[in-house]
Amino acid sequence: MSGDDSTIGRALGGLVDASAIERILISLAALGLSVVVGAVVVLISGWVLSPCPSAPFATLGGLGEFCYNPIEVYWVLLKGAFGSTFNLATTLQETTLLLFTGLSVAVAFRAGMFNIGTQGQLVLGALGTGLSVLWVAPVVPAGLVGGVVLVAVGLLVGAAVGGFWGAIPGALKAYADANEVITTIMLNFVATGIAFTLVSEVFKDPGSQTVQTRFVPEYAQLPALVLGIDGFSMLALVGGLALAGLVYWVLRGTSFGYDLRTSGVQPDAAEYGGVDAKKTMVSSMALSGALGGVGGAVYVLMVAGQWQSGIPSLGFDGITVSILAGNNPIGVVPAALLFGALKGGSLVIEFDLAVPQQLVGVLRGLVILFVAMPEFFRMAGIRYGYGDDEPAVATDGGTPREGGADDGGDSE
Amino acid sequence: MSYADTSRKRRWLLGAVGLVVAALIAIEVLFPANPFTGLAVVLLTLVTDPNYVGSVLRLTVPIAFAALGGIFAEKSGVINIGLEGLLIISAFTSIAVAATLGGGTPSQFDLWVAFGVAVLASVLFALLFAVVCIEYKADQIIAGLAVWLIALGLAPFASKVIWGQVNSPPIATLNDWTVPVLSEIPFFGPVLFDANPTVYMLLVAVAASWYTLNRTAFGRWIEASGENPKALDTVGVDVRKVRYAGVLLSGLFSGIGGAGLALGRVGQFIGGGTTMINGRGWIGITAYLFGNYNPLGAFGASFLFASLDALQIRLQQLGYSIPSELIGIIPYVTVVVVLAFVGRTQIPDAAGEHYDSGED
Repeated sequence: MSGDDSTIGRALGGLVDASAIERILISLAALGLSVVVGAVVVLISGWVLSPCPSAPFATLGGLGEFCYNPIEVYWVLLKGAFGSTFNLATTLQETTLLLFTGLSVAVAFRAGMFNIGTQGQLVLGALGTGLSVLWVAPVVPAGLVGGVVLVAVGLLVGAAVGGFWGAIPGALKAYADANEVITTIMLNFVATGIAFTLVSEVFKDPGSQTVQTRFVPEYAQLPALVLGIDGFSMLALVGGLALAGLVYWVLRGTSFGYDLRTSGVQPDAAEYGGVDAKKTMVSSMALSGALGGVGGAVYVLMVAGQWQSGIPSLGFDGITVSILAGNNPIGVVPAALLFGALKGGSLVIEFDLAVPQQLVGVLRGLVILFVAMPEFFRMAGIRYGYGDDEPAVATDGGTPREGGADDGGDSE
Repeated sequence: MSYADTSRKRRWLLGAVGLVVAALIAIEVLFPANPFTGLAVVLLTLVTDPNYVGSVLRLTVPIAFAALGGIFAEKSGVINIGLEGLLIISAFTSIAVAATLGGGTPSQFDLWVAFGVAVLASVLFALLFAVVCIEYKADQIIAGLAVWLIALGLAPFASKVIWGQVNSPPIATLNDWTVPVLSEIPFFGPVLFDANPTVYMLLVAVAASWYTLNRTAFGRWIEASGENPKALDTVGVDVRKVRYAGVLLSGLFSGIGGAGLALGRVGQFIGGGTTMINGRGWIGITAYLFGNYNPLGAFGASFLFASLDALQIRLQQLGYSIPSELIGIIPYVTVVVVLAFVGRTQIPDAAGEHYDSGED
């Protein structure tokens, strides 16, 4: 067995194995630490900015002025996320989209694979949705019935295209032993390039200068129910929540889910127990890709109304969501809401306080960094007398794997 | 996977390449009016044009430096997929420092100071990554991803704080160095002896990396630290220190690559979307995988990928309307195809795993 295989399997197995309480504590601690480090970043950036455009938040003799008050920034961020109907719609729009991409990453993680390619699956799924709806629209009646048919077609095609694109790295790993981390990253670039070229050369909206398809008909776009703000539909959010429940049930309550999880935690044992590991790899990556593709479909049908170049990095944010959620489909819901709120609030901190909205990007990276190092919190816990010194389960894998003895990585 | 299996896959790959060449020749014989011959002539004139080769070398700088860094980190047992982030950090730092030092019009000296600070920033970021991976046993893939995402957020954030927008104003770039006499040599003179200093640095770094990895004790430690850390530990070399060295070298090289792109070529920091680095760190990873962890091979692959970039610009100037995005995906497709055929047998055995000496 090559080293890399066991590496990722081991890391993922560890992440999956850690007990639920421990996972939640680690996620909360990581979040807290990110907020603290983010506050320091805000303080320093306020110092770099000085002299301040308005009254400084604090002046320390010798050091100079600090323009931003981190507590105020966070407060405005939070208030901004839920403050007005419009902001709430932005928050929930992002939450909805992150539900799909977060679930996509979580499913692959559970199967022992790191799908960094959700972004590509989403981009191609979105293109599939946009084109299929445009093609089918002329043959169905306008209005509610036509809308329902078109949305169904769009979701199905989005899922199919995303699933196909996700199955490729799954098959490459299963049958050619190609590392899925590398292939999914590469296929992101390939997907974006293919979609861009297809649209710019073949399917471009003739009436537009930018690279985008024509708009799908109004009645094929998800209605702005409840909040009444274009770009967010409660239907999609409810669908996303239902999907989270469904994925949880599939993983927990079906034999496919059992096969998927055991191959993720203990591939050799799963194989020994009669699971076709290769087939499971392909099908779980296809499922993961399909979820990403549905995310793309919802982006087209709810947000953009068309495929356009420069689709936001929802797939990468899905990785953050899934990692923060401990790759638990139910945990994806609060994690998606959190990052949705950060998105909604980021626009407000830029508008009200002139703090660049990219701060949220920094927080996103910090969260991933801290969640990746549970050992740090465990050591800190032990030092301050809160934890016990049980062996590390989270990153170096508590469960020794068959064939792992010759890795030389673990000396005990 | 056995060695025989790999060599069989390599033969398949060679066979596939041969088939494509044969198909092209057949097309040429059967359909003399095809566009491929014209393209081949253009290609041939390009690769003999010193200006073109020179510009390709400048485009190679960030990719190849990232690749060299990735080789040292991964060979020592720490997979660093945060190279893209390190390039972003150093590109941003170099421009920010240069613009601050020179008040918008930095001198050559200011640019070199900025270059040094940028490399230092990248090394510090790599140190953070190393501590997280080695001391706190973080998952290397996730931590590497975090390095990239932090850089992707931090650089445009800081740009907005400093310049009020995600792009910096343009500044001067490093002057080319011309070696007297040698630069008069036909073709090789203008390419190799009348070039940007970052290009000289790259050529030296490639040779030095190859020598270090293949001919020195340190190179053997790096190799052992990734392949069989226990053996290295047994002979009394501290695996942790070797891995720190490997990761810090990846920070050093990526720092030179990022600052080399910003100060040697572009003269501006562009922070929108994927930033001015625009996937060059990822292409660097593909380059060293393609080059099979050999610095010379990685340099060759980086040169090849950079030439595609330059080629597409030239072809458009010559009136061939090939969609640039389509040419842009060639490196990525290449790597996927190569991985599909060769698998990943060459990855160091213990790469990605935490090593615990069991002493503390």
